[in-house]
Amino acid sequence: MRGDFRSKEELERLFAEALEKLKSAVEERQVAEIKTEFLGKKGKITALLRGLVNISQEQRPVIGRLANEVKVSLEEKIKESLAGIRERKRKEDLLHESLDITLPGRRVPIGRKHPITEVCNEIIGIFLGLGFQISEGPEVELDYYNFEALNIPKDHPARDMHDTFYISDEVLLRTHTSPVQIRVMEKQSPPIQIIAPGKAFRCDSDVSHTPMFHQVEGLMVGNNITFGDLKGILTIFVHQMFGDKTRLRFRPSFFPFTEPSAEVDMQCVICRGKGCRVCSFSGWLEILGSGMVDPEVFKIVGYNPNEITGFAFGLGIERVAMLKYGINDIRMFFENDMRFLGQF
Amino acid sequence: MKVSFNWLREYVDIDLAPDELGENLTMAGFEVESISKVDANLNNVVVGKIVSLKPHPNADKLSLCQVSTGGHLYSVVCGAANMISGGYVALALEGALLPNGVKIKNTRIRGELSQGMMCSEEELKIGRDSKGILILQDDGLELGKGIASALNLEDYIFEINITPNRPDCLSIIGIAREIASITGKILKIPKIEFREGNEKIDKLTSVEIHDPELCPRYSASLITDVTIGLSPFWMRRRLESAGIRPISNVVDVTNYVLMEFGQPLHAFDFDLLSERRIVVQRADDGDVFTSLDGMERPLFSDTLMICDGEKPVAIGGIMGGLNSEVSEDTSNVLIESAYFNPTNIRKTSKKLGLQTEASYRFERGVDYGGVIRALNRATQLVLDFCGGKAAKGVVDQYPSPIFPEEIPLSINKANKILGTSLKKGKVKRYLKSIELDVKDLDKDKVIVKIPSFRMDLHREIDLIEEVARLDGYNNIPTTTPVVRVKTASKNPVQVLQDKAKDILASMGYYEVVNYSFISPLSVVLLNLNAEHPYKRFISIKNPLREDQSIMRTTLIPGLLNTMKTNVYNKNLNLKLFELGTVFYSVKEKELPREKKMLSALATGLRYGESWSFPGEGIDFYDIKGSLENLFEGLNIMNFNFLSTTDIPYLHHGKSSIIMVDNTEIGTVGEVHSAVLEGY
Repeated sequence: MRGDFRSKEELERLFAEALEKLKSAVEERQVAEIKTEFLGKKGKITALLRGLVNISQEQRPVIGRLANEVKVSLEEKIKESLAGIRERKRKEDLLHESLDITLPGRRVPIGRKHPITEVCNEIIGIFLGLGFQISEGPEVELDYYNFEALNIPKDHPARDMHDTFYISDEVLLRTHTSPVQIRVMEKQSPPIQIIAPGKAFRCDSDVSHTPMFHQVEGLMVGNNITFGDLKGILTIFVHQMFGDKTRLRFRPSFFPFTEPSAEVDMQCVICRGKGCRVCSFSGWLEILGSGMVDPEVFKIVGYNPNEITGFAFGLGIERVAMLKYGINDIRMFFENDMRFLGQF
Repeated sequence: MKVSFNWLREYVDIDLAPDELGENLTMAGFEVESISKVDANLNNVVVGKIVSLKPHPNADKLSLCQVSTGGHLYSVVCGAANMISGGYVALALEGALLPNGVKIKNTRIRGELSQGMMCSEEELKIGRDSKGILILQDDGLELGKGIASALNLEDYIFEINITPNRPDCLSIIGIAREIASITGKILKIPKIEFREGNEKIDKLTSVEIHDPELCPRYSASLITDVTIGLSPFWMRRRLESAGIRPISNVVDVTNYVLMEFGQPLHAFDFDLLSERRIVVQRADDGDVFTSLDGMERPLFSDTLMICDGEKPVAIGGIMGGLNSEVSEDTSNVLIESAYFNPTNIRKTSKKLGLQTEASYRFERGVDYGGVIRALNRATQLVLDFCGGKAAKGVVDQYPSPIFPEEIPLSINKANKILGTSLKKGKVKRYLKSIELDVKDLDKDKVIVKIPSFRMDLHREIDLIEEVARLDGYNNIPTTTPVVRVKTASKNPVQVLQDKAKDILASMGYYEVVNYSFISPLSVVLLNLNAEHPYKRFISIKNPLREDQSIMRTTLIPGLLNTMKTNVYNKNLNLKLFELGTVFYSVKEKELPREKKMLSALATGLRYGESWSFPGEGIDFYDIKGSLENLFEGLNIMNFNFLSTTDIPYLHHGKSSIIMVDNTEIGTVGEVHSAVLEGY
């Protein structure tokens, strides 16, 4: 019987001893040692439990239960101790392991699309949303499509408005994207609702002109398309592109392939209409040329001008990009300097 | 066109301030590009009258004048030769600072008191005449009044962009007519009255038109015994305001009427016309003619010439000849007022490379009905300012008169096209305000008679545009079209292009946009064999520069050029791409074949300047890797790279042919050092 008590006392003493040691342990390694010392295969508590064979039959379950409790409890304490140490260690580590976060990140450099592409896509996006399909045409064109079919016969003073690059008498670099109108109408019957983005060329070069530039042409043709509709579509476009509050005005102009023709001005985006250098103190910026398709053009493509009406418009992409990004020299678009391209 | 505010006010009352007028004109389709104020800071320069003059006692070339300003009498010493007693002058008094910097003070000149200075045009910077002092026209000038207000020197010059369809507005009266319509005022056409002589013009000269197609109308007047000299100050000043250099009174009158009515005129020295007559006929190919500007001009069989009895004396509608020019010795002048075929004038002007104020108007179409009125106006002004005697009547050869067109206009149609609901009464009022003759045809339609000065109105749609313009584009309701809903999206090729650009940008490539024309030399630099497709380029007939004179057959020279510019600007680490069209010649006079191509170029350090990456240079495998990524990103799987040694512009040991589905689609490699040396 004494052995019973001794075993119990011994258990409790070992438990206390283990707890004491755990308290002073500061590293995981020490805890592991303590675990081995008491609970390992040759550990003190394990050895004691093995000695239980000498204990009386009736006390065996009692001591056994106690021994088990001590073992479970100690394992619990070890876990807690370990968690405590790890937590402490993590905190210490975080204190010591700081980086110079002001150094630049390690990045593989990224590129950019050209601002003309970006602006063009934005414009296309707006018109796709309004149901306009995209059409394209050749950049080297026949005089017929660039001029004659657009009601600009040879020896017409309106040809002065286009400084044309010629390949031969009949072949030229298109001076606008308007020939796409004709090519589309020749192939399709109304209703038509297209835009045609692309390059155009004129022999002109200064701060505001480059011999190559980009335009978006638009054409909407059907049974009851009115001048009011032209105003509506272009108002939606300008509002989406430059903001809902941008005011715009339509004023009479002349294009041989539209009648009535309208120049569209929008409120200056720089000074908001107060007058500044960009708008030559008028408060307005010319942004689009437009008009109702001239009946002559309908006749040329074989439409009946008594049944069909429609409008067309054209806008310069560089112009829009310059206003959007505050660029004052159009030539920068085609110099392709990385310091410029990297800004968009 | 340059238009003087003061000049306009002679034909229409204007209550608007210049900037308001500018705004109104712009919104009516006459875009005012700028308004510049003509300032005349001529304080203490007043209207004076020479009441007496006598020689300076101590100087031969000086005079002693007494000049009155109404209230005061001033003694002025003057060295000019053109002073006359009773003449009105511009007198600069003590304190005046002239535009040329001279400050006027009371002083003594050779012992005589001089209390000011009588000024020349040039000294006041209001004209070019510096030969003598300015003698003013005595038409109601108020003595002592500031010269700027007395002479209407303060002015505003409108620079107006007149569209090619509105030649009628290439004149002050044309613009005034539009202002009258906008503001509801009356257009005041100057009264044309003068005394004719007794001798009938038919007895003195004749006009024959041999080619009425090219010259439908030719009229002339004749004034004898004119005195050639300086035209009056106000006339020269108005001509200058319009950008025309004053020459002599007769020539100035023709230019004045040109600007006033828009009808080009020409004055011949009548005594230099052989047989004293005019014959209008075509030149012969190979003829040569010396125009007024002294240039020898080759002529063609479709060049219309104004001839006398034996030789050409002017290029019809474009420029007069040196051989019949009005000079200081001229005493008899024949004035031409004609209507020429617009297309032929344009062709001739182009062929001769000669554009004049006259040709600019004739090729757009002048008022065929206003030919005689302008001629009479010129005769009147010549008599007024050059003296002489006008022959009785005019010659007017007009074999097949042009009759005004009558165009029906449906109000419904106008409303249908414009999206408006204008009433017939309003439409009629609009059209009448620009001097169109409008009559009812039926309930819906009116019939509009077109005046001869509106050469641009032929069709119903032309009238509808006028209605819209006069109603004001901004008053037309803004609507959205009623259409069948359909979806719109990019087509697969457009989507593919977008995607390729995105992938390349995400790998560090910058998109560039180069001109579609390149230098022929850049193709030579690629070292291609004769049959290479890149050599099948087309050339521009009229390039701006030699290095932009052929259409590109490849994007490579553009990228190499971009590299060059960037390296020059110290941007050394480059990844570039371009997606654009190239052009291959097919057959002469036919359109070239256009093809979309993608090219990319990389040079410098693989990751640019970075503290954390090794500074390794780009090599073949970088760009090959980019291609592999691109293909995978575009879901192109069946690609491979074949070795090759015969791409002339690439390094023979570091280049490859790109194959997709066993088709060659491109090349990749290190640029040949010989090519690089060219850049």
